[in-house]
Parts: sequence; structure tokens; C-alpha cells
Amino acid sequence: MNFLAPIAAVFAAAIPVVILFYLLKRKRVVRLVPSTVLWQKFLAETQASAPFQRLRKNWLLFLQILLLLLAVFALMRPYFAAKIKPAQLRVIILDSSASMQARDELPSRFEKARTEALSWIDGLANNDQMVILQAGANTEVRQSATGEKATLRRALQGCSPSDGPTRLVPALRMAESLVRDQRDAEIHLFSDGAVPDLSEFENKALPLIFHRVGKQGNNVGLIALDVRSNPEDPKQRAIYTSVGNYSTNSQVTRMQVFLDDRPVESRVLTIPAGESSPQVVLAPQEADGIFTVRLDEQDDLAVDNQASIVSRLPRPARVLLVSRGNRLLERALRSVENVQLMTATQYAESGDSFDFVVLDGVTPTVWPKCNVLAFNVLNTNWVPAVTRVEGPPIVDWKSTHPLLRYVGFDNVQVTAANVARAPSWAVSLVEAPQASLMLAGEIGRQRLVWIGFDPLESNWPLRISFPIFIANAVEWLNPANAAQGHSLVQAGDAYRLPLLQPEPSATVTYPGGATRTLQLDAKANEFVFGDTAKSGIYRVRLGTNETAFCVNLLNAAESNIQPRNELTFGAYTKVAATTLRRANLELWRTIAWIGLLVLLFEWWYYHRRTA
Amino acid sequence: MSSLLTPELLRRLEQLQLLAARRAKSSARGERRSRARGQSVEFADYRNYVAGDDFRYIDWNLYGRLDRLFLKLYEEERELPVRIFLDASESMAFGEPRKFDFARQVAAAVGYVALSGFDRVSVIPFPAMGDSQGEPAIRNAELAARSALRSVRGKKSSIQFFQNLGSLNATGSADLNDALRRGALEARHSGLAVVLSDFLDPAGYEAGLNALVGRGFHVDIVQILAPEELTPTVFGDLKLVDSETGGEQEVTFGKYRLKVYQQAVQNYIQRLREFCQVRGINFFSAASNTSLEDLLLRQLRKSEVWT
Repeated sequence: MNFLAPIAAVFAAAIPVVILFYLLKRKRVVRLVPSTVLWQKFLAETQASAPFQRLRKNWLLFLQILLLLLAVFALMRPYFAAKIKPAQLRVIILDSSASMQARDELPSRFEKARTEALSWIDGLANNDQMVILQAGANTEVRQSATGEKATLRRALQGCSPSDGPTRLVPALRMAESLVRDQRDAEIHLFSDGAVPDLSEFENKALPLIFHRVGKQGNNVGLIALDVRSNPEDPKQRAIYTSVGNYSTNSQVTRMQVFLDDRPVESRVLTIPAGESSPQVVLAPQEADGIFTVRLDEQDDLAVDNQASIVSRLPRPARVLLVSRGNRLLERALRSVENVQLMTATQYAESGDSFDFVVLDGVTPTVWPKCNVLAFNVLNTNWVPAVTRVEGPPIVDWKSTHPLLRYVGFDNVQVTAANVARAPSWAVSLVEAPQASLMLAGEIGRQRLVWIGFDPLESNWPLRISFPIFIANAVEWLNPANAAQGHSLVQAGDAYRLPLLQPEPSATVTYPGGATRTLQLDAKANEFVFGDTAKSGIYRVRLGTNETAFCVNLLNAAESNIQPRNELTFGAYTKVAATTLRRANLELWRTIAWIGLLVLLFEWWYYHRRTA
Repeated sequence: MSSLLTPELLRRLEQLQLLAARRAKSSARGERRSRARGQSVEFADYRNYVAGDDFRYIDWNLYGRLDRLFLKLYEEERELPVRIFLDASESMAFGEPRKFDFARQVAAAVGYVALSGFDRVSVIPFPAMGDSQGEPAIRNAELAARSALRSVRGKKSSIQFFQNLGSLNATGSADLNDALRRGALEARHSGLAVVLSDFLDPAGYEAGLNALVGRGFHVDIVQILAPEELTPTVFGDLKLVDSETGGEQEVTFGKYRLKVYQQAVQNYIQRLREFCQVRGINFFSAASNTSLEDLLLRQLRKSEVWT
């Protein structure tokens, strides 16, 4: 047994004082009695006229000395050192993601984790240091290394759960860098383990101790939400959503859809355990508005029972086709709904603003600043190194990208093409053995699709996939649609809004009604807002314009709140949940309780002998 | 008639007679059988005639049959000396009602029964009067009463007897052993001794009682305790001062120790009772608030102090 505060032993000097009190004579009530013969049995005290008396056996004295000893003992803060070796640095990672708000542990998993972490602070030995990281959508250092327990407690009390997903990897990387050169350092992760895949994090030697919180995972939640035009009826909007059931048994829940608080649809869903149910809701919409999907469900996690999405009515896309003549391409573009197509043979900077430009084998003198779909164009700013290949076979394509939705290259042959390695701004969508045939990405805020071959030098325009691709490209390159995408933000991520003209300030109204005014840089061409920890509808006022964006959880990994017993890092490493509770088992609370009982007994005993 | 005893009680006491296990040894005539031969109607024995004997006591019938002279002897009836040892020390002045008052009532009752039976009554209050005790007038009155109580005889003296008893006071510090021993030695004839005291003498009571028994007294004792002594009502950290010795004793007393105290009192009484049983002493214990009739007419009668 060791003591955290051995200096408190000086309080034991009070024991002689107590004994001194007992040496002093007590003042007694004088009473004349016929005879003291009958009282011989009670001759506990002898007569003495001096102010001091001989110390006698007195249970009260023993009780009081015992009480004092217990108090001193508790003040010295004894502890049993450790089931584990005392570490010099402890890094506490507190998971503050949405799943930590689950109420299967009362009051919540987050509070439980915090309480447990606080007990670790209490158990911190004198020269140990601790770092507190809060891991939500972003990793925050709540407290840098210190041994000051009050500061650490304050830092931990300042943490709060967010509605965002867990991104443990950055937190682990930070912790890893903190403990890298430290001997005996430990990382304590307080989490429910409901985290996305950690396979990208590979560290076999990480001194990680995983403290699991959470008992069960009874949750039904919205895991996807999107809104588009109804392909079959352009006047209607289609809301695509997906409801996942992460409980251990089948659940019946009511899903309601509102457009600006006006009910649109209500349906009862029965979802088998562990499965998700995709739902499409069709609704007419006359003006821009916000669709809200709500689940009437009393489950452990409330955050994912509601999600909102901003729905703007589609505006016609203004498209400029710069081509020496490609009727197939032109027809494909014209067949897309809501497209105002103009054609030109050469691109020139003009007063007309287009939503995007299609460059078909024409190298312009000035590169357009808007979004571009480029066929067989060489621009070293975009694609630095290009190789010409004859008859490249198409070996792979990325069908998950929005551009290649329902697009296949099974029967497409290309005569000749430029291939390029994917630069940093782009992802490769279509692959030849040598390099990439199609790239897509963003440079700054300009979206680019680069295709290394002329469609007419392939049989692609004859395939059904070509018009589908063009339709996808129109949708992806239309800035309005991009803005639509931007107005749906995952909690914890930043909301970005391009500024058409400089604004001095912006006022953001939070879902709760609170407002915050932000000063903007005069040169800023983009408004970035990162304080999106809480889900709901945020409204931004920029000058006279007001726009809204929705922050949602919409994360299957987070909705699956089933606590995990094991975290898997990379391909080989697994960390099991620990049963350790605190480093040092402090005893002073127990001793204080015993002391209280002794005090009560002493009180009772005193009154019993004189009352 | 008296403030000590009610007329009703006195009437009932008149019907009682003190019982003594032993023959009276007094020299004065009385109404008790004795070993002495004398004049009475109770035949006792014969003896040979010697010259000078009174002819009136010769049994002529025997002379006719045996032709020898025999003298008829009769039992002499003597008085029974009753000595009442009355504890008049300071400790008897306690209690509600006072122990001394109760003791005087018992003394009056015993004395009245004895006087009614033509026995001689001596009341011996102890301690003896000190020289500088009280005001002279009262002191002289009490001294006179004490000397009058040394020897009382005849029922007609009972009123004076009660008055004298009433003028006694409980004060001073008593030595029970000394008083009883002295009383035993002073008595010319043994008889009945009644000791009325609380028996709370630090020096004990054994020597005194042994002296009485050894002198041939038939001893009856009544231990009188105050209700407060049996069940104390004051608790806390106390400094007790002995009323007689002035000795101080510090005790811490709580309700929870009440039973222990009561047990201690009972043990003390029981010790006295056993001491008495061994020596053939009639022992009675009474709180000063017990009913006098119950003690006199039931307990004492049951134990055949009188009948």
C-alpha cells in the first residue's frame, strides 16, 4: 500500500490533544445522595481534586482515537498500487461521436465514459502526466500533457458529445505521435467501439487500452437521404432514404416525411434485424424547401431518428458545346432534360456565363473557368504527362462514382487514346492497362471531367452507356446540383458556400435558434463554416441572401451502436476491451465511510451512556 | 390519637401479639412464659419438699398415695423486652416519603403491639445526639424524648410513646455496627430486637447483627429504601456526595445502565437477606412508599413476627 498524500500524517498530532481532553476533568453535576454504597459498582472514576486525572479505560476515548486515525488514514490517501505498471504518460481519447449519446447506459454512454475517465485522473500518480483528446468528427486536444488533476478534470468536464461520426484514426495517429518516444506510455480509449473500419491504421505496438462503454445496441436509424427529380414525372421530387435496423430483433417503426413542417407521407416499416430498408417517397414540390424525414421510435439513440435535406427545384443547365461537329454528342446532350445547349466551334471568353462547357477535341485559347467536360483535349495544367496509345483495352472502371452510375464499358473499344496517370486532384474512372482513360475531380471549385479519347474514335457513342454517361455528367457538372450536395453536411464536417461577391459578415442561425455572426475576410471567395457538431437545419444570412443547409448524422457505422468487444487495426492487430477500471485503487472513500460509521456509533454510545 | 398511625390501624394492631421463639428472660413479671418458676396457673414440675417451703404448694394427693412430700412448681410469667433500633442518621432523611418517617411508623406499630401485650419497649435511636447539634430548645426536647423512650411499659404509655417518637430527628452519621453492638451489651436481658435501617453503612452491618444474635436476641430487621434509591431518575455525568460521610464519587450514568444499577441494588438486598437467613433473622425489605398496612398486617404476620 502506498500513500498519495503522506504529509497528512501530521494530523495524527491531534491524537495527544484528544487524550489531553480526557485527562482534563469533566464538569459534573453535584448530587447529594443518602449513601454511595449502592453506587460502588459504578465506581468508574476515582476522586481527585486536581484539574488532571489519571487516564482511565474509556471506550469513548478509544472510539475517538479510532475515528481520528481513520480520518488521518483517509487524508493520507492510501492506495493499492496497481494492477498495471504506473505509466509516465497517459493519453485519454474520449469518443464523442453520435453513438456515444446512446442511452443504454444511464445517463448516456458519453457520461459513463467521462466518469470512468475521471476516475483515471483521480488515480493518476504524482509525477504522471495525462493528455486528453476528444475524438469526434475531428480530433481536438482538450488538454496537453499535464499532471495537474484539476486542469485535467476541467478539460474533461468541458468535453461534450457531438452528432457527428467517429474518426478515430486521426486521434490514434495523434496519440501515437505523443507516445512514440515515451517509455511506459499508455493510450486509453474510452469508446463504445462503434467506429468505422480502422484498417488504414496499422500499428502493432500501440500501447492501447480500450475501455468499452455500452451494454446493448437497440437502434433504428436513418442512414441515407437524398432528393432528386422523379425520373418518371419531372414535376415531382423523389426522396430516397434508407432506414437501418441495428437491433437484435425485427422492428416496426413509423416513418414520416415533412416538407417545411407540412406532412407529406407517413408509412409503417417493418425492418428485419440487422437489415436496412431503402425507401422512396414521391412528393410534389412547388418551391424550394426542406424535406425532413422522421422516425417515431423510442430507441437508444435519438440523433439518427431525424434527417433533413434542402431540396431546390432544378434550374435548366446552360451548356456550351465547343466542337467541330459531333452529332452524337450533341444529340446526347440535347436529350437530357433541363439543358439549354449552345454550340460553338471555338471557345472564347464571352459575357455569357455557362454552367459548364463541353470541349470536344478543341483546345481553347483561354481555358474556361467554369466546369468542363473535356474530350481528347491536352492541357498540361490538368494532366501533366500524357501518353498516346493505340487500341487500349478498357480493363476497369469505377462504377460507384456518380458519373458512372449505370454506365458500363463492357463492349466499348477505343481505337487510340491519350492515357495519363491520375494527378492529385482527380480520380481515375476508366482504366486501361497503361494508365487512366478518364479522370474526374475538382481543381479549386472547378469540376473537371477529362476523357483521353475522341468518342468518334470508339464505338462508345453507339452503346446505351454513352447517353447515360452524358446525363450523369450534366448532373454532376451542373453547379446547382453541386450546391445541392454541399447543402447536405455530415455533422462535424465543414459547410462551404462559394461567394459571388465579398461580404463583410455572415450570420448563422443554429438549429436551436441561437445565432452567431462571423466576420469574413474581404478577399474570401468562399464561406466556410465548421461548427456543425449538432444536427439540424442551419440558416446562413449573407447580406440580403439567406440560404439553409442541413446537418445530419446519416452514418451506418455510427447508427450501429452495438458496442464492440474488440477493435481491429489494420490487417493483424486486434485490441480487446479491457476490464481495468483505474490505475490505483484508492481507499480513502472506503475509510471515510468506515469513519462515518464509527462517528455514528460514537454518537450513539455517548448519548446512550448519559441520556 | 397519633399522627404516626391511623386509629383504624391501631385498632387492628391491638389484636396482634408479638411472637418470640425463645422464652422470656426478663426479671420483671409479664405475660410471657419463661423458664423461671414462680406463680401462675401453668403447672411446670414437681420437686422434693425441703424445710421452709410454702405448704400451700405441697401436693397432698401425692402425699396420700406415696407418703412423701412433693412441691408443685408453676411457670413464672415474665415480660418480653422489645428493643427497637431506629436508624436516625442523615441518610434516613431522604426519599419521598422520607425513609425515617416510614421507619418511625414501623417502630410505633411494633412498639404499640408490644405495649398492648404488656411487654417492655425500648427504642434506641442511633446515632446518639452530638453536643452541638441543633438549637438548644429543640435539642433538649429531643434528648428528653430519647431518654423517655429507653423504657416504656404499659398500654397507657402509648400516647406518650408516639409523641416521643414524633419528636425524633434524622441527622448525623451513624455507625450501625457500633450501635447494635452497644445495644446488645447494654441489655440486661435478651429479648426481641427490631432493627429499622437502610443498612447502607459503608462499614457494613454484619458485626452488629452478629452481636445481637450472639447475645440471644430474636432479631427482626426491616430494610427501608427510598424509591429513588431503587430507581434513580437523574442521569448524566454526576458527582455523588454521600450525605453521611461526605465522600464524593463520580459516575457517568445513563438509562441503559439502569438495569445494571437495579441489579446491583437487588444483589445488595439479597446479600443481606442471605446473611439473615443463615442466622435465623427475620428480614423484610420495603420501599418508603410501600403501604404500611401491607408490611405490618400481611408481611410481618406471614413471617410470624406477630400473630
